[in-house]
Amino acid sequence: MKRVFVKLLIRCGILGLIVTVPAQAIDLGDLVDLGNKLVKINSEVSVEEEIGIGGNLVSGLLGAAPLVDDDRLQRYVNDVGYWVASRSARPDLPWTFGVIDSQGINAFAAPGGYVVITLGLYNLLENEAQLAGVLAHEISHVVRKHHLEALNKVLKREFWTGLAVAASDESDNRRTLETLVNSGVQLYAKGLDRDYEFEADLRGVVLAARAGYDPYALLDVLTTIDSINPDSAELTVLINTHPPTEERLSRLAEGMDGRLDYYASGQSNPKRFLEVAGTP
Amino acid sequence: MNRCLWMAALLLLGPPLLAGEAGVIVRDAPVYAAADSAARQVGKIGAGTRVNIFSRQGGWEEIFAEQQNLVGWVRSYQVRGGEYAPGIEADAETDSRGFLSGLAAFSRKASRFFSTSSQSSNSGTATIGVRGLSEEEINSAKPDLAELRKMQGYASNPQRMARFQLEGQLSANQVKHLKIVNKAGDKKSRDK
Repeated sequence: MKRVFVKLLIRCGILGLIVTVPAQAIDLGDLVDLGNKLVKINSEVSVEEEIGIGGNLVSGLLGAAPLVDDDRLQRYVNDVGYWVASRSARPDLPWTFGVIDSQGINAFAAPGGYVVITLGLYNLLENEAQLAGVLAHEISHVVRKHHLEALNKVLKREFWTGLAVAASDESDNRRTLETLVNSGVQLYAKGLDRDYEFEADLRGVVLAARAGYDPYALLDVLTTIDSINPDSAELTVLINTHPPTEERLSRLAEGMDGRLDYYASGQSNPKRFLEVAGTP
Repeated sequence: MNRCLWMAALLLLGPPLLAGEAGVIVRDAPVYAAADSAARQVGKIGAGTRVNIFSRQGGWEEIFAEQQNLVGWVRSYQVRGGEYAPGIEADAETDSRGFLSGLAAFSRKASRFFSTSSQSSNSGTATIGVRGLSEEEINSAKPDLAELRKMQGYASNPQRMARFQLEGQLSANQVKHLKIVNKAGDKKSRDK
């Protein structure tokens, strides 16, 4: 998923939004200014800014794969997602969900309360609890500001490197900085995601339980994904950006340790799910 | 009229020469005469049925189901594109965990479709996912703000949520977050 965001960040000019790389030559002052802005990310970023960043990310994703043209389906996914998100620590974000027309198996979250799920993943689901489980995982990324945090760490590191380069090399600083920013986002694409993914899994099952769903439904989805040949093109992005599904399952089972068993009798609402999914 | 001729031609040519991408129906679906749910319904098609996909339009795909001699349009999420392996049927059997929908069973069976080695004798290739959201697609994408606004238009609200919760008999439980288990020295390789 992170790799996706790299491209999106570049395409959507999110970097411009966050770090405001000036068009003219960059001097030390610019870099210090940039540093100040980076420090601001995550620690002081306002909810409005967060929503703005997320909206840009998601519009890029929608440019790659538009929404599935089905009002009922989109409304239903929003109903499930909004309800689950209302049980989170950030119920007041403008939670917005969508199913995008891609056969790739994946789901994405962006700061500010945006979550999209691909048609490829949606088609693997059997009931509302499984949909809720997937959305709860993504909601957890947003609630914990994982994307902002990842951006922050990587760009900060790049900033210090950039500062050193700028101090020693006066020629073509702008290009240097741009290169650094690019590689910074690539680092964002690579790193840090394992623990974030495990955390989102473990928080996701709790959110699902809070919302009255069977929390084990997320494990069912992961089991289904795990049964698909990892070489299939539909799984490429998911596999590149997430820990091995098998490991996620074992970490989840370990973390849950039977403590959510009481909620396993929660709803899964297969009828309602299939009504929407099976008959437009 | 054109459609009739085309269909007749297809039937004459037989399956080996059928044009279009192979696909499998993943959910029981009504089949329409046009890419519009207000169009005349020309039949129904069951999960697991193999079809050929001729064209796409909006959220719709035009399919041909040989078994039923059926041509028409289904919602794109009701059909999965890609080669299918002969002899593997998706059905509504109960899988090992007791789920009845059959979709999980289907997806597990479908995993065999993705294999590039074992199922290639008949269909030639077993690739699937040509329509996946690839890096290239994302690369070439331009931010679509109109689509973002459309997405925002589907967002729920407290009134809608209350009704949804009630109808789904969803209870609001108080559940504490679980402690994250951090495995020391966990350096398992991710590149497989």
